[in-house]
Amino acid sequence: MKKRYVYMLLLPGMLFLLLFMIVPILLTIGSTFFQQGSFTLAGYLHFLTDSYFLKILWTTLRVSLVTTLVCILIGFPAAYYLSKLGPRKKGILLALAIFPLLTSSVVRSFSWMVILGKKGLINTLLVAIGLTDEPLDILYTPTAMMIGLVHLFLPLIIITLVGVMENIDPDLLKAAESLGASRFTAFRKVILPLSVPGLIIGSILVFVGSLTAYTTPALLGGKQRVISTFLYQNAMTLNDWYYASVVATIMIAITFIVIGVMNKLAMKLNPKG
Amino acid sequence: MALLSLENVSVAYENQLILKDFNLQVEKGELISLLGPSGCGKTTTLRLIAGFLEAKQGAFLFQDKDYTRVPVNKRNFGFVFQSYALFPHLSVFDNVAFGLRLRKVKEADIVKRVGQMLEVVNLSGFEKRFPKELSGGQRQRVAIARALVIEPDLLLFDEPLSNLDANLRVNMRVEIRRIQQELGITTVYVSHDQEECFSISDKVAIMNKGVIEQLGSPAAIFKYPKTEFVARFIGFTNFLNGSERQERDGQVELKVAGHSFLIASQAGNEGRTGKKCAIRPDDLQVEAGHGSTGEPNRLNGIVKISTYLGRSYQYVVETALGNFTVNQEMDTPYQNGQQVSLVFPREKLVLVD
Ligand SMILES: Nc1ncnc2c1ncn2[C@@H]1O[C@H](COP(=O)(O)OP(=O)(O)O)[C@@H](O)[C@H]1O
Ligand SMILES: [Mg+2]
Repeated sequence: MKKRYVYMLLLPGMLFLLLFMIVPILLTIGSTFFQQGSFTLAGYLHFLTDSYFLKILWTTLRVSLVTTLVCILIGFPAAYYLSKLGPRKKGILLALAIFPLLTSSVVRSFSWMVILGKKGLINTLLVAIGLTDEPLDILYTPTAMMIGLVHLFLPLIIITLVGVMENIDPDLLKAAESLGASRFTAFRKVILPLSVPGLIIGSILVFVGSLTAYTTPALLGGKQRVISTFLYQNAMTLNDWYYASVVATIMIAITFIVIGVMNKLAMKLNPKG
Repeated sequence: MALLSLENVSVAYENQLILKDFNLQVEKGELISLLGPSGCGKTTTLRLIAGFLEAKQGAFLFQDKDYTRVPVNKRNFGFVFQSYALFPHLSVFDNVAFGLRLRKVKEADIVKRVGQMLEVVNLSGFEKRFPKELSGGQRQRVAIARALVIEPDLLLFDEPLSNLDANLRVNMRVEIRRIQQELGITTVYVSHDQEECFSISDKVAIMNKGVIEQLGSPAAIFKYPKTEFVARFIGFTNFLNGSERQERDGQVELKVAGHSFLIASQAGNEGRTGKKCAIRPDDLQVEAGHGSTGEPNRLNGIVKISTYLGRSYQYVVETALGNFTVNQEMDTPYQNGQQVSLVFPREKLVLVD
């Protein structure tokens, strides 16, 4: 087949995306700037001066950021370990690591409710061994959301990091050691910088995923709102599609800003990667 | 006492013994190469010396100190990898400076020493480039500079030229030898290329299945291979298996199925007690027509295959003792099926074990 025609294979997918994703998104974004036929920024002014919304925005960003950091801290060593394994063991362990992605987020969140609740596994245990007299409030807090989100998104960062780390020539570590580096220094000066691309992509996936996740924060957050649950409330409960569209646009803007900043960071940390 | 000494070392991967009772001595300032077919344990030996691998048994002495348990980063050995192993995220300058920074050398001195070293390997002006932006030969030279700049006590090369094209290989091996001699640095060099090893080494160790079959100067090995394996590896293709052996008049007589072969005794041949001898295709001679049977060092046969090699013709000649390969320069070649006789010059036959 001629190269030109190969691009035709993309056509059905592109058309689908254009019709059912790009166009609706653009319409939604466009609609936020018009009320009764005239241009306005009223919707944005309303939210950006509303302390309730700003608090939700702050909670969302905080939860997403902490989730991303925890995923990096847990995922990085795990990915490094996995990347060093033989193909068989690695296959099995990777499949296990991906498992949370394959289960329904409703089921996953309900199991966390069982574990984190007032009469849940953790509180029963804490009270039984006398660490606390009263059960702790874990469920329906931002902490519960973070736990659920880390569980959900850890596989993403592990998969991307394993992919990058597998391709690092093991002789590089040996070279660093032969030049006088301890194991740890060699890791810090070679593996770490060369993992930056995977770290950035993984972080974007986790951060944006956390930012837009709905089920997990809805079930584990209780009355704690994040942007996505607030958006749902506006659209479905309050039936206010205008405000819902404004919130959606703000969410999209934040997503793009995050991706942009992370890419800048990647360029800076790894100019020739 | 040798600078470096491996004493009865054994190395195993997952219970599979790769090196067994391995011994090797390297003197200060010399370049010794390990030569052998793929899989014979050359890299394993080099990694053992570097400290990437631990010996199951035996000792590794360096400057009369026991280095067996000294970790890689405390050995101060330079290692040049087959794939160069340059740090892709660092510039040429930072690659070469890597070892100096770890040694906390002052930045001004680093600039000076890296500059000098890049001059030695002819790469001045490339400081800001990244490995991706270099040719294979240039990467190779960065790898050498990076290993040399730390002023290592020993330099280790693992097939450093095998990823380069033929012309560059010849240039680079001359370069490596020049640098090694200029700096007087003790070097262990691994390759499976005979010409490469012979051209740059003070000594060559021919390895087979985890054992050194012969260690000596390139000339000594080239002329007097000790075993059949070594002989085959360096281009001897013709072998005679004798059943009787006699020594007289300063020469050895081998009887091979009734045929008699006389072998001149020479210094390099001394102490060989086997009944087998070898000869190179270039040293064997072929004459038209059958000679008298019973004449020593002569075999009658017929040409089976004839190949044009450019400067000479190569014939496979079938005889009562099997097939022999001979190269001969001539204007009009022999035809397939033609009767010829092979002459085995006394001073070209080599006794092997
Ligand atoms: N990491 C390893 N695990 C298991 N076996 C290995 C490993 N590395 C090398 N070997 C085996 O050890 C033998 C010697 O290998 P090596 O020293 O690399 O040979 P060479 O460098 O001479 O080609 C080979 O049979 C090879 O299959
Ligand atoms: Mg090898």
